[in-house]
Amino acid sequence: MRFERSKEWWVKRAIAEGNATIGAGLLARDPASESEIDDQAAPREESRIAFGRFINLMRRRHGMSIEKLADAAKVDASELLVIEEDVHYVPGPRTVYQLARMFDVPQARLMQLAGLTAANDAGLVEEAVRFAARSEAVHKLSPEESAALSAFVAVLGQGEPKRSL
Amino acid sequence: MIDSSTIFLVAGDTLEPVEAELRDGIEEQQLVDWQTQWQPALTEILRELARHGVPMADWPQSWHWDWRQKRAGVAGLLAFPGFSIMADDVTQGLAQVDLTRSARSAEHQGKPLAYVDYLEVAPWNRSDRGNVPRFKGVGTALLTAIAALSVDEGFKGRLGLHSLPQADDFYRRTGLIDLGPDAAYQGLRYFEMTEDRARAFLEEE
Repeated sequence: MRFERSKEWWVKRAIAEGNATIGAGLLARDPASESEIDDQAAPREESRIAFGRFINLMRRRHGMSIEKLADAAKVDASELLVIEEDVHYVPGPRTVYQLARMFDVPQARLMQLAGLTAANDAGLVEEAVRFAARSEAVHKLSPEESAALSAFVAVLGQGEPKRSL
Repeated sequence: MIDSSTIFLVAGDTLEPVEAELRDGIEEQQLVDWQTQWQPALTEILRELARHGVPMADWPQSWHWDWRQKRAGVAGLLAFPGFSIMADDVTQGLAQVDLTRSARSAEHQGKPLAYVDYLEVAPWNRSDRGNVPRFKGVGTALLTAIAALSVDEGFKGRLGLHSLPQADDFYRRTGLIDLGPDAAYQGLRYFEMTEDRARAFLEEE
């Protein structure tokens, strides 16, 4: 988009701004309270629970500590901790990308799960909820958790070519 | 390919014109500026408030920053269409638009509009707390770009936004309709620009 306006046109408008500090949107305001900031529909939150759980289980399946995964995937350990424990937290796109690479799952699906892109796929949300309900964040993967995790990885991979590392 | 136009801001103290660039995109450089220049500047403002013993309750807009959240939000801007203003080789303002929302005002209810998801000027361009901004016109230029985008999209300039309290007066003055506080947005007031108003706003000299 290109603008063809004179210098005077822009100057007049800039001066008319007066002493206003212009801003809009929650992000511009203050990211303060995580629970209030979440105005998204319920499915996003549900899928985010699954996202945190998914990262937690995948990490444990690989026998990694948070620190070790952070190191291997080149992401912040503090962010990983929040991802696993705080369902309101929306991770950065780069982090999701790195984790998708790390665990060899489709990036686009993981983005949906993390709430970064709209999940236009009701099936995925449903599967995510089912997965979250079947797994629990305990120290060792139970056989049931392991099975739930495998099934969910398969769902994530459906209809999308797997990323090659 | 990012398009860029030459625009003009004015210096906050002398009101002298300053050449600037309006880019229809947010790229890596803008995010780096945000991280390395905006964020420290905001932290400095907070430090100053604390130093002067201003109670937190009196800080502008309840600035109880959670940088982790804000950083993640800003990093997400790469994934959406946006605008940025550059002057002196530094990012002076950022905006992001959502083209999937509909109008709420009686006049245009249900019609698609350009929703301003995020619009922020660099901390040194703020004029609240009695500061003299380095540049004026950054917010207006971003709003101009979004109104023009709305026209380009066939939305006839229709535009919606949740205002920050210190900007409410400006939006009213600019002729946006005030649809009141929105509980879903921490009580921020929701404003809309009508087609007529957008036409006048974008009018050439």
